[in-house]
Amino acid sequence: MAHAHPVKRYTGLMDWLTTVDHKKIGILYLIAGGFFFLIGGLEALLIRVQLWKPLNDFVGADTYNELLTMHGTTMIFLAAMPVIFAMMNAIVPLQIGARDVAFPFLNALGFWTFLFGGLLLNLSWIAQAVPDAGWTSYLPLASPTYSTHKGVDYYVLGLQIAGIGTLIGGINFLVTIINMRAPGMSFMRMPMFTWTVFITSALILFAFPALTVGLVALMFDRLFSANFFEVSGGGNTVLWEHIFWIFGHPEVYILILPAFGIISEVISTFSRKRLFGYSSMVFATVLIGFLGFMVWAHHMFTVGLGPVANALFSIATMLIAVPTGIKIFNWIFTMWGGSIKFTAANLFAVGFVPTFVMGGVTGVMLAAAPADFQYHDSYFVVAHFHYVIVGGLVLGLFAGLHYWWPKMFGRMLNEGLAKLTFWTFFIGFHLTFFVQHFLGLLGMPRRVWTYLDGLGFNTMNLISTIGAFLMGVGTILFIINIIVTAAKPKTAGDDPWEDGRTLEWSIPSPAPEYNFAQTPLVRGYDALWKEKMDGNDAMTPAEPIGPIHMPSPSILPFLMSLGLFIAGYGFMYAENEWTGIMHDLFASHAVAGAGLLITLGCMVVRSLKDDHGFHIEPDEITGKGVKA
Amino acid sequence: MAANHTTHSEEPAKRHKHEGPRKHIVAYIFSMLLTLVAFATVIGGEINASFTYILLLVMAVLQVIIQMGFWMHMKDRGHLFPIVGILTGVFVVFTIVIMAEYWTWW
Amino acid sequence: MSAHSHLDGQLPHEPERATLEGRNKVLGFWLFLGGETVLFGTLFSAFLALRDQVGDGNPTSQELFKLSLVAIATVLLLTSSLTSVFAIQAMHRNQVKSMQLWLIVTVVLGLGFLGLEIYEFFHYVHEGHKFSTSAFSSSFYTLVGFHGAHVLFGIVWISLLIGQVYRKGLTVVTAPKVYVAGMYWHFIDVVWVFIFTVVYLMGKVG
Repeated sequence: MAHAHPVKRYTGLMDWLTTVDHKKIGILYLIAGGFFFLIGGLEALLIRVQLWKPLNDFVGADTYNELLTMHGTTMIFLAAMPVIFAMMNAIVPLQIGARDVAFPFLNALGFWTFLFGGLLLNLSWIAQAVPDAGWTSYLPLASPTYSTHKGVDYYVLGLQIAGIGTLIGGINFLVTIINMRAPGMSFMRMPMFTWTVFITSALILFAFPALTVGLVALMFDRLFSANFFEVSGGGNTVLWEHIFWIFGHPEVYILILPAFGIISEVISTFSRKRLFGYSSMVFATVLIGFLGFMVWAHHMFTVGLGPVANALFSIATMLIAVPTGIKIFNWIFTMWGGSIKFTAANLFAVGFVPTFVMGGVTGVMLAAAPADFQYHDSYFVVAHFHYVIVGGLVLGLFAGLHYWWPKMFGRMLNEGLAKLTFWTFFIGFHLTFFVQHFLGLLGMPRRVWTYLDGLGFNTMNLISTIGAFLMGVGTILFIINIIVTAAKPKTAGDDPWEDGRTLEWSIPSPAPEYNFAQTPLVRGYDALWKEKMDGNDAMTPAEPIGPIHMPSPSILPFLMSLGLFIAGYGFMYAENEWTGIMHDLFASHAVAGAGLLITLGCMVVRSLKDDHGFHIEPDEITGKGVKA
Repeated sequence: MAANHTTHSEEPAKRHKHEGPRKHIVAYIFSMLLTLVAFATVIGGEINASFTYILLLVMAVLQVIIQMGFWMHMKDRGHLFPIVGILTGVFVVFTIVIMAEYWTWW
Repeated sequence: MSAHSHLDGQLPHEPERATLEGRNKVLGFWLFLGGETVLFGTLFSAFLALRDQVGDGNPTSQELFKLSLVAIATVLLLTSSLTSVFAIQAMHRNQVKSMQLWLIVTVVLGLGFLGLEIYEFFHYVHEGHKFSTSAFSSSFYTLVGFHGAHVLFGIVWISLLIGQVYRKGLTVVTAPKVYVAGMYWHFIDVVWVFIFTVVYLMGKVG
């Protein structure tokens, strides 16, 4: 059975460009997502510098529009999503006892398309044509009539390419979780994080195609004079709002559900208690995912859809508070009576709970349609969504990173520095955004580059800016922690927190290439904890040791994404003011065609060339894996 | 390896072994008839518009049941997740169509 | 776990599901089709929202659509769906020649459909129904064109698969690819059922 195929194993840079190992792809996602997080954070700081005093002229109105657009777009699509994907890749296969993901090749493709899409979007800064119509890119502001430079084209094509990667990732994790679970790992024994990733992946699958269509329509309007949103041609700008939010609202739950999962794992581990109300947690997760598709128009209460629509969406939105409330109570009850250890990861998790509740409460306030007419487009909304996304998702991601860092890299982060990170970031966060509720209620509009003196906005804006810098300090402390940790030897044990409950803590840190030398037999929820309680020091294997089949590395995902990147540029600059050969190459769509040809050619090569993979023989199955 | 592997691999080979083309030809004739009725209704043009719409949609849904149920084997065992996947997609589409019909112009 | 465990012996019944890789591929493709459902659903919705936005002096759907052409295209595509079923049945009986033959018939029918669609588009443009004429025309061409692009992709894909099976034979590696391509072809057909119903027939009714 084990006929060895000679497979070229790469080292160094080529190893990272060609890898199909989900753990390495997870690290790539983390690096790329972290990079974009820093860019988005820098943009946020520039915004706060501009707003620290009335009538400031640190940046002009145009630059401010660009900053706020790119801050939102970068943070949602290029920072938050990839770091979530980093956690998914690093942990989910380990939690379900799988040797690999279902589609390792596509997994790599998903990463590279995301990265090239993100690069395309951010190269707009260098091209000096930056998207400036807001992350929602509402029409007619983003229409060819009112947005004449190529900024919005960068937005459309960058997100389109990055979106392909996200969709691929979603399908990959759905199939992985459905088909690749270890024997005994039934759905109702899956760790909570895996469950939330499962639902998030489903939301990605059904929400992203709507964005794809919206972006295609906007692209056609801008590049080929279509009339989807062009009122003079019979188009309808509200249609864009609908399509955007039909994608955009599930996107919010795509972001927050994995954070819920992380918090469940961290709180349960560091309370040394089984997660309270596991099945109600699963039910609440599914319900949130389902309701997430029926609430999009609460972003559009002031459009004037009429009392029936507003009432329906208002009620549906408030309903989401019920499953979310279930979760909050479950976390509190998990801690209740547990022997709680306040590690840095747990500090982030415990800090998450009240912070997210505050974001949820303002969410219910905003869900009341008549009241929303007051809050709409004010800083109240800014405060609300930063409480759920930063106070919810980012705290959750920090908790997850501190918790799983030893499993990803084999080294424990420095606890002292990590706690300092938490306190600066946490205090900075509340300083920044708590006052913004009141700024909004006082009437300060969002997305405006400055404000007048004497409106009572000054002090609170100053506080907000100071808080933003404190968050920046927290982030820098985290980076210092990473650097300090990277210099230390890999000493983390299999179960460095000593209270690990799930399968990822039953294997070495970092996980070897094949994850599990022998596929484990799962005998209950919290599989490892169950074995510990039964007095066993390891999982029971479900198979004898044998050769392990692995997929071969491939450069094709990288090349395919590069092709899409080139094609994106080709389409965007088909109309240009250049002269000479460059003009002709772009104007004749030769560049766009060449890019598409690279992508399609790689697809053909992939289809024709069988991937036999290779085998890891039993005598090689020892020791640790991923070198990072 | 998969927890739900019983749904696929242990199926006895004698179930739909060498299933003949007859069933599919019947399905094909049905789908042709449905198409014919749909086109004839419109070309005839005698019936009022809203009734025609309903009739057309019913014909289309029946066609889809034939295609997906018989030709894509959705009615067979081991298709729980395909069914859930497609139906969720249909549900989302349903909300989007309501949006387009009722909440874009008013 | 290994993809090759069946290679040496007889090809199993339902070879597309014989390996974990094959089962992953089939399930993943089903889920992808779920996403495609939303993709086309959104395109349909955009069309439904904009189909009355014809603009002054431009041809309406009643004036424009030639139902005879659409009917022929429909017959071609429905028939190709049946022939792709025959191809998969031949695959299950391990009759490679017969499978390839049915796949070729499928591709030829698909090409016929595509030819008709291109002719139709040229005809409409000639009638003054251009891509940028109105919101109706933009959404029409985008919806029907997306479907046409899917047909084109399917034709290229299945053609490549015919060649691949010719060279490598029917194995547990190639069988899932053929099966999945068949699913894709049926899905395209399902989308067309809604296009001729919602776009053409309902457009004719008004």
